Amino acid sequence: MPSLSYLLARLLQIIPTFLLVMIFIFLLVRLLPGDPAIAMAEAKATDAQLEQIRHNLGLDQPLPIQFLVFVKNTLTGDLGRSIMLKAPVTEIILARLPTTIFLALYSVLLAICLAGPLAFLAASRVNRPVDVAIRSVFQVGLSMPVFYIGLVLLTVLAAQLRWFPVGGYGTGFLDNLHHLILPALSVALYTSAIILRNLRASLIEVLDADYVQFARAKGLSRRIVMTRHVLRNALVSTVTLLGLSIGNLMSGTLVTETVFAVPGVGRLMLEAIFARDYPLIQGLTLTFAVIVSVVFLLTDIVQSWLDPRLRQS
Amino acid sequence: MKRLLPILMGAALGLAAATSALAIERGGAMTFARYDDSTVIDPVYADRNPDLWMVTGLYETLLRNGPDGSILPGLAEGYDVAADGLSIKLKLRDGLKFSDGSALTGADVVFSLDRARNPELGPWAGLLGAVDKVSADGNQVTLTLKNPDPTIVSILATFNTGIMPKAAFEKAAGANDPEKARAFFEAGPVTSGPFTMKSRVQGSSMTFERNPNYWRPGTDGKPLPYLDQVDFVIIPDDATRILKLQAGEVDAAEFIPFARVGELGADPALKMELFPSTRIVYAPINTRETLKDGSKNPLADVKVRQALNYATDKNILIKLVTFDTGKPMTSLMSAATQLHYGPEPLYPYNPEKAKQLLDEAGLGGGFEVKFTTLAGSADDATLFTALQQMWSPLGVNLKVEQVDNPTRGEKNRSGDFDIHTYGWANDVNDPAQVTGWLGYYKQRQAVGTGWNNAEFNTLFEASNVEVDPAKRKDEYKKMQEIYAADAPLLFLFETPFAVAVSKSIEGYVQTPLGANDFAEAWRAK
Repeated sequence: MPSLSYLLARLLQIIPTFLLVMIFIFLLVRLLPGDPAIAMAEAKATDAQLEQIRHNLGLDQPLPIQFLVFVKNTLTGDLGRSIMLKAPVTEIILARLPTTIFLALYSVLLAICLAGPLAFLAASRVNRPVDVAIRSVFQVGLSMPVFYIGLVLLTVLAAQLRWFPVGGYGTGFLDNLHHLILPALSVALYTSAIILRNLRASLIEVLDADYVQFARAKGLSRRIVMTRHVLRNALVSTVTLLGLSIGNLMSGTLVTETVFAVPGVGRLMLEAIFARDYPLIQGLTLTFAVIVSVVFLLTDIVQSWLDPRLRQS
Repeated sequence: MKRLLPILMGAALGLAAATSALAIERGGAMTFARYDDSTVIDPVYADRNPDLWMVTGLYETLLRNGPDGSILPGLAEGYDVAADGLSIKLKLRDGLKFSDGSALTGADVVFSLDRARNPELGPWAGLLGAVDKVSADGNQVTLTLKNPDPTIVSILATFNTGIMPKAAFEKAAGANDPEKARAFFEAGPVTSGPFTMKSRVQGSSMTFERNPNYWRPGTDGKPLPYLDQVDFVIIPDDATRILKLQAGEVDAAEFIPFARVGELGADPALKMELFPSTRIVYAPINTRETLKDGSKNPLADVKVRQALNYATDKNILIKLVTFDTGKPMTSLMSAATQLHYGPEPLYPYNPEKAKQLLDEAGLGGGFEVKFTTLAGSADDATLFTALQQMWSPLGVNLKVEQVDNPTRGEKNRSGDFDIHTYGWANDVNDPAQVTGWLGYYKQRQAVGTGWNNAEFNTLFEASNVEVDPAKRKDEYKKMQEIYAADAPLLFLFETPFAVAVSKSIEGYVQTPLGANDFAEAWRAK
């Protein structure tokens, strides 16, 4: 396992990341034309009413003051009140986050289950019909946008065959598994295509490596050669890719959650941007930053466990 | 009170006719798929359509809007406006109760109307700006006005004057009114309307349950509503919402894109409802002498604006964008609006006349116009392409600029546009709201166009205190004529509200103001 000092150093690296994210998102949302007052009272308010709304929201303060207030509040755990939903940002995010995390883990799990065995099968029969077939099918998955895969799955499996519900969210664990299978699958098809390609390539490379030949020649059992030598080495780059794809997945939820009517933070982010809901956008961005940082940290830990050489650097 | 009598008799006759045709069945639930969720359904704080179109499901107003635009009695049996127009008296029905069984009294009315007209609270307080004092003596409610206000009767039938329970609201947790409003709503509010809220998951679903104490009787003589429950699910994506309906998982889906209306109308399991609405699609034209960048604005010339209107074939746009569900505008307001005046469609397609007007304006050689549209809107993209083709023979070089909704709002407010797309639906059953928005300079610079017509402005101010209905009608006729002739808009079309409903559901209505009305909906078993 990685040393404590290594973990600590990695944790410390997260702090400047957060600070940059905060500054960046604070300025970015304010650079967008239009403001929450306009988005809120779009058609019907007079100019005087707009000024009143801006005043109530503290938007008439100078930017540096607004930023200081934002940083101060964030440090004390207060992300402010959502303009659009009229409720504390923390409360809203905490209510919606489990859905997105559930969906993300579900689709990663599906992707691994799909890509793992098939990559082995393909790598052990390089350029034979099975390999070509697997690669072609997944190439299609890679070249279609997630929302399109989603709509195709919805139309065929839900609306026509009626095997699954059309979008929405269930109550309880099993019901959620049933409700979220199509959104999870449409994300998983994309992710698994990436993993499959990478894992297959590394497997082929490792299977051909001298140390694997040597291990075989030593007379080690096939199982031990595969787990201790082949898999462990082939997984290093795949784990990196998986970590990155979970980062991508968070942004992918913006689309998936809208198509499948899943009430998670991805769809919330989209709505918040259209409403110019500054506090909610800021809160959500920080949440995404935390999630991605944690996932990258976990990726590093798993990697350094797989490959001891990484612990030195 | 006597003025309500003919309407009541008419309504009674209508109901009698309906009963003989359909035997209403009580009980059961329906599921309704919405495009967006409500946040806080509160008469005062509702500021987005998904909120304000739900308010009257929970909170009954003193008066109600009839299906034909007439004003019907609500919690009040009727109303009586004083001859000088400076006060209005209303008598509450006997035995009114809130959903929790507590009595609905004059004190609740005073509380609710005082809250509705407090400018510190919601965005709608201005609608009650003429009210000086609200008082109650037993069942008698009196509104005293600072000046006569011909809109006041309509306002008492508008969602923002829904009656809330004073005692229960004040008991809700929170230091101030906004916090109380949210706590009250989240806890499952005590209501006066046909339904009460049973449960809710933010962003996902909501359930309305029958209010057993609702006052209004159905056609079978027992109180409404017929349904025990209405379940709402939130499905923002159009295609998914329709799939959900086709899969039979929901009984109705709102905001059907017009491109899908024909297909769903042909589905034997569904009824494609196109409810008449006050919704208009139009394009404000910048009428200022100079543009934001300091250059001279060709659109400041009324002849150029008229020419562009003549050069626009509305019937083709209606076919392309609304798939023949829309109709051309005949006035600044929809034909379903009270006091609408517009004998025929404005600016029928006439490219020769357009050419001639441009020549008279000295712009026969052509010029460039920027058309600002909503990014990602298929309708706006179609509009732009069609207009570009229609106008290019005149030498008008139409350029597109795509922005998102708040950016478009910002450009409208700061006058940084030539022409841009826009839409509107009335919230009040009275023409003053839409007329003030589109034409009165002092309110919003005539929908951001900068159009400042002294005669129009004077007429609008006079009409807002005019107590003689005939005179007010005449003022509105004149205003609509001036506006049409001066063309600060590209007049496009009116569209209906498209809702697809399962054939097993009867009686659901979306009103011309957009409100979702489930009070008389029922399920055939």
